[in-house]
Amino acid sequence: MSLIWLRVAVLLYGVAALAVLPAALYNRPQWRRLAMPSALGGVFFHFVALVEMLVATHRALPVDTHETLSVLGLLLVVGFLVLAAKYRTASFGIFLLPVAVLLTLVPAFRPGQELIVYPFIRTGWLLLHVVLLLAAYAALFLSLVASLLYLIQERRLKQKRGAPVRMWLPPLETTDQIAQKALVFGLPCMTAGLLIGSVAALQTVGGAFFADPKVLLSLAMWVAYVAMIFIRRHSGLRGRRAVYLSSFVFLVVLAVWAANQLSLVHRFQTP
Amino acid sequence: MSETRKAGSLLLLGVNHTTAPLDVRERFAIPLSRLADATRTLAHQPGVREAMILSTCNRVEFLVNHDGTGNVPLLETPGIPRFLHEYFAVPTGVLQPHLYEFREREAVRHLFRVASSLDSMVVGEPQILGQVKQSWTIAREVGAVKTMLDPLLQRAFSVAKRVRTETRIGSSTVSIASVAAELARKIFGSLSGKTILLVGAGKMSDLAARHLLQQGATTLLVSNRTEARAEAIADSLRTPSMTTGVIPFEQLHEQTHRADVIITSTGAGQIFTREHGRLLLHRRRNRPVFFIDIAVPRDVEPDLNKVEGCFVYDIDDLQGIAMANHQSRRDESEAAERIVTAEVERYDDRLSQAPATAAIKELQLSAEALRQQELARTAQRLSATPLSDEQQAAVDALTKSLVAKLLHPQLSELRQAETPKLREE
Repeated sequence: MSLIWLRVAVLLYGVAALAVLPAALYNRPQWRRLAMPSALGGVFFHFVALVEMLVATHRALPVDTHETLSVLGLLLVVGFLVLAAKYRTASFGIFLLPVAVLLTLVPAFRPGQELIVYPFIRTGWLLLHVVLLLAAYAALFLSLVASLLYLIQERRLKQKRGAPVRMWLPPLETTDQIAQKALVFGLPCMTAGLLIGSVAALQTVGGAFFADPKVLLSLAMWVAYVAMIFIRRHSGLRGRRAVYLSSFVFLVVLAVWAANQLSLVHRFQTP
Repeated sequence: MSETRKAGSLLLLGVNHTTAPLDVRERFAIPLSRLADATRTLAHQPGVREAMILSTCNRVEFLVNHDGTGNVPLLETPGIPRFLHEYFAVPTGVLQPHLYEFREREAVRHLFRVASSLDSMVVGEPQILGQVKQSWTIAREVGAVKTMLDPLLQRAFSVAKRVRTETRIGSSTVSIASVAAELARKIFGSLSGKTILLVGAGKMSDLAARHLLQQGATTLLVSNRTEARAEAIADSLRTPSMTTGVIPFEQLHEQTHRADVIITSTGAGQIFTREHGRLLLHRRRNRPVFFIDIAVPRDVEPDLNKVEGCFVYDIDDLQGIAMANHQSRRDESEAAERIVTAEVERYDDRLSQAPATAAIKELQLSAEALRQQELARTAQRLSATPLSDEQQAAVDALTKSLVAKLLHPQLSELRQAETPKLREE
């Protein structure tokens, strides 16, 4: 049953992803009126699917690869809705919604085969570990999208092409604020997520945990994340260089995700 | 339009920026303080049933519902020429060449176009709707708009709203000052708390500064070769809610980093170069800065626009955007005209169905009165053995059904026959 709700959610995300294009690019309010409720409906059905799935499998947290990616998709759509409500902009949906569709599409039609076999799978702490880290990834992705939008808007303003009202992007300062706030939100999530994971792993794996490539890369990711925030806030880094920096940290995050295959203590595997 | 024959005829006459030069429009203009009196005077003219006057800097229009029929020439219409002659002390013959006149359906169309800002000098400007509403409020207060003009004007407001929401006729700015303000908003979002620096003096730069200050900028700095002149400019633009200051011209580059928007109009050559831009950005910790260069020759080196975080727009750039916006409004006005045409049709249809509706209502009311009368008579006759509640309900239902069936052919005929006949008219 949970798969049906997840498919409904994918469908609604798909509708929202299409409707957001005319809503944002051509400033058509009637399309916005379709995009927003569709995204909201998608979040609702996605949440229902997730809860049903966890209840059915007697687990407290998503453990397989596809489930985890689908939660990331859910967080991205929630991020989009929060931005749309607070800043009255649908522009972020152009990037966030298709990614959310992709992240949810596969789990909706093909449940994951590989999973992490946690020793204490029902504990709330591990749920917190997973959700906080996914929130940090979502925040980083959102910040990257915001930096990209800043760059596009900056170029358009410099090229002096077309009428300013037709520009579909939010003002530069707003985009910059979103990028900064997303990073500031992501930092405590990442820190707490990593700490909880480390404590849980120490209890089960012991000291060998810190020699694991996945764990080392995660620490490097945290350092890069903190350094990025420091540089951006301290020097007021914007535009092209901000995009480069965000992209670099995003690549580190992807490397951390890929390191699951090399890890001995944190690995998605076929049971 | 048999309804208009019953309720009167609609006439709209006036002068606007396309039919009359300013000196003629001036003679017609009615200040807001005298609008109520003028509307009352017009409404009390012989033959005038309802009236409303719209007086703006670009037009003066008189909308009246009068006793005459659509074919009577204006000069033979009682009351209105007399009002024009007496109120404005201008002979009608002098006014005649500048006056335009619309009747019935065309008057409705013109009113819808005016309220939707399709007849404005700057198509899509938003003020006209507020001005029509103001005139309507005044006319209502003096009791000059009633059964015909009141619903018509309310319809005009709905049409204007529809045009605004369904087209983008008013979404782009068309003056250079407002284009500059719009660009500033695209860079900074809200201008609240932002600082404007005015370098040099000029009408256009004053106007741009005023526009930005109206958008919420809170600090104004002025720099001029003559400090007294700078003080005078700051004084002329000062409002109670903002802070002003003067920067000595020789300290301009040391102080420029305090400003978010720099409006420059000295024409003294390139006083801001690419190098200045780099230094400025460094001092501002990369916070963006917007140069509005109104001077000819330019005050800002064009290459400064290449510095990340610096945005330079000169007079040609601003004019180019204003022109593009003008074109965009013209494109949108075609869609707006289609909406107006459809709404005129709808209004016309509704109006033409009104007489049939009235006749149907009358027929139904008299039949119902007859039914009640007969029921009462029967009840009196049966007073010795009164009917039970159930029996009463059955008789009531029976008579209702009988009346409905008897009236049905007549009502259908009325509904069908009335509309085409009125359309032909």
